[in-house]
Amino acid sequence: MTIPIDGFLEAVVRGATPLAFAALGELVAERSGVINLGLEGAIVCGALASLVATVAFGPSAGLLAGGSAGLCIGLIFAFFVLVLRAQQIIVGAAVSILGLGLSATVHRALTGGGASAIHVATLPELRIPFLADIPIIGPALFSQSLPTYILYALFPLVAYALYRTIGGVVLRAAGEHPPAVIAAGHSPAKVQFMALCVCGFLAGVGGATLVVAQTGTFSDGMSAGRGFIAVAVVALGRWRPVGVLLGVLLFGSASALQFLAQSLGWNVPYNIVLAAPYVLTLLAMAALRGSGSAPAALGRALNRSASLV
Amino acid sequence: MTSIPPILELRAIEKRYGRTIALADGSLAVRAGTIHVLLGENGAGKTTLLRVAAGLLAPDSGEVLLDGIPVTWNSGAQAIEAGVGAVQQHSSLVPSMTVAENVALTERRYFRRFSPTAAARRVRVIAEAAGLNVVPDAVVGRLSVAAQQKAEIVKALAHEPRILILDEPTAVLSPADARDLFGWLKTFVSSEQRAVIVITHRIREALEHGDTITVLRTGRTVLSANAGVRTQSEVLDAILGEQPSIGSGGSVKPSPAGTLPAEPCLVIDNVCVADSSGNFRLKNASVSVFPGEIVGVAGVEGAGQHELLRVLAGRLVPTSGDVSFPESVGFVPEDRLRDALIEELSLLENFALRGAGARSGFLSWKSVAQETTAAIKGYAVLGGTEVATVAELSGGNQQRFVLARELGVSPIAVVAENPSRGLDVRAAIAVFDQFRAARAAGAAVVVFSTDIDELLGIADRIFVCHAGQVRAVPRDAVSIGAAMVGL
Repeated sequence: MTIPIDGFLEAVVRGATPLAFAALGELVAERSGVINLGLEGAIVCGALASLVATVAFGPSAGLLAGGSAGLCIGLIFAFFVLVLRAQQIIVGAAVSILGLGLSATVHRALTGGGASAIHVATLPELRIPFLADIPIIGPALFSQSLPTYILYALFPLVAYALYRTIGGVVLRAAGEHPPAVIAAGHSPAKVQFMALCVCGFLAGVGGATLVVAQTGTFSDGMSAGRGFIAVAVVALGRWRPVGVLLGVLLFGSASALQFLAQSLGWNVPYNIVLAAPYVLTLLAMAALRGSGSAPAALGRALNRSASLV
Repeated sequence: MTSIPPILELRAIEKRYGRTIALADGSLAVRAGTIHVLLGENGAGKTTLLRVAAGLLAPDSGEVLLDGIPVTWNSGAQAIEAGVGAVQQHSSLVPSMTVAENVALTERRYFRRFSPTAAARRVRVIAEAAGLNVVPDAVVGRLSVAAQQKAEIVKALAHEPRILILDEPTAVLSPADARDLFGWLKTFVSSEQRAVIVITHRIREALEHGDTITVLRTGRTVLSANAGVRTQSEVLDAILGEQPSIGSGGSVKPSPAGTLPAEPCLVIDNVCVADSSGNFRLKNASVSVFPGEIVGVAGVEGAGQHELLRVLAGRLVPTSGDVSFPESVGFVPEDRLRDALIEELSLLENFALRGAGARSGFLSWKSVAQETTAAIKGYAVLGGTEVATVAELSGGNQQRFVLARELGVSPIAVVAENPSRGLDVRAAIAVFDQFRAARAAGAAVVVFSTDIDELLGIADRIFVCHAGQVRAVPRDAVSIGAAMVGL
């Protein structure tokens, strides 16, 4: 029996796509010095909002609506962390639980008790001529839906913004040493606020991708821990865009094991295959332990004088 | 006849934080082409006044005038645009970034492209024009303190300020580096319409290098004069408001060598310390300290004194060589809030940390409480009760508390690293009096200081570190200064 390599790779990229949006957002937030554990809430709310918007206006509107819902969740997080100066980790966990509960409640109200799920048509696969014909990697990379192609532009864009714009230098400085940012005449809180907006929006788009590009429907808790894995992936990727890219591909490979298991007819319990991405995340964190390259001021609240308002 | 207005003037500035008054009536008039030195005790309002001048703080009342025209700044950015550049007391550079990236931080437009090569070129241009030697691609955290300060100045110069403000720039510099800095400041103010404001604790330095001095005391400007016409004692009177009892501080007679006991208390012999990459931080150092004497240590940043002091205090195990010291050696590290005290904890808990590294088992809080209370009383730690936190104490009282803990009731040996750092004249005198008292009680005392005058005032013998080597040097400023730079 041959291993269906191109099918596997296609599943890797597909599995990595929603996570990549969230992880890029988290990367931006963490480089600015804020660890946003509320990502899970932003993803799941983005997923539900995109379902509703897709029913009304189509899948492109769904992606935008997902981003907007994620942005709203990000704003809640930012309010507590930057204005009330509450603990980032605690607020993040609370916001995640809030997002999960809120989306489940609203979904139940919309479907009248969850009896009949809402279904939408998913975004079509866009085959790029010629490129998709490259053996092995062609179909995996160039026969995907719109969100994956957006990512191809987004990774370099985020890397450029972080390392090759003044704003990026200021953002990274806010994550390393906020007093330097203040001394230079900027407000670290404003920089972090903008980073959290970007983070929430991207996480929401990630959630929307789950609906409009993959499942076509919503189920309670469908983010399935991607928000937390995104946080792990950023640490795994040593807070660098390329590292994050490798991290999401690793996670994508683990989730694609399901595909492999099915197509090869492996005789392993389904649950173990499902657990693979999470186990892999833990193993990878253990292997790459230490936080040598973490932003120095990550997770630390700003002084009262430096906070927003 | 119209006189030229001061390039920068602050009139009757008042600033309160809640119920504390940081500044009651702070005034400052800086003339173009001068170095203006601001003096005063800790808490006199110097830094507050400069933060107002740099637009980092809005005053409650009072006026800021630039070239005689009143201005209102709502942020540091506006002051920067108006031509006021500030170099802060604590590094405002990002340690993990390069000098070029740090300088780029001062740009306003977030969406502008950042090019490392262009940014490095810009730093090189600024540094060359100013006559400062700065490597643009160096990571700030790996630079020496003096080099970091140059980078700070280049950062401040990026906006071509007419007025440069420096908050205690010489506190961390060796005498040679401090002289270089003032030399550079003189050139800076010699051209065009420029001025410099410097905060310092060192009166001699102020009178030697400043053109004008302003003294603040408890939030008020009490003296404004040309530096040339004032003497050190006049200025000291203005700073303290009364004649302090520094009879013991000014001239100290070293204890006659003949009275020293024969057996040294602290001995290190042929000691080497290598860092993790195998470079020797300390090479073949031999020092003996006898009971009842104060040994002074001098050295520029990174010359090996950091390691020497820790070996002497038994806090660092040398790579090779013999050491012998009594079972308890007190240690007063340079950065007390980082290495000696835990700000959020009570004095009681901080006191319990004494010698914690060499202890195990249970702790009797009752006896620690008694010792703490006794120490607070014995060393006159103001505002200190055993339940008060360290953060509630002033810097001087924090240092007193550290001394109380490290010296204890009957000190045998104590090693102190720059113990007057960040302290005002009065608090520094109190600290050195404690060392004298310890010497009188028969303790072996080792003191490192960046201030040569301070060392000459207290030490019986002097050792100088240079490039990892330690040698005894005669007790005079010229010999010490020469040895520090390796002559």
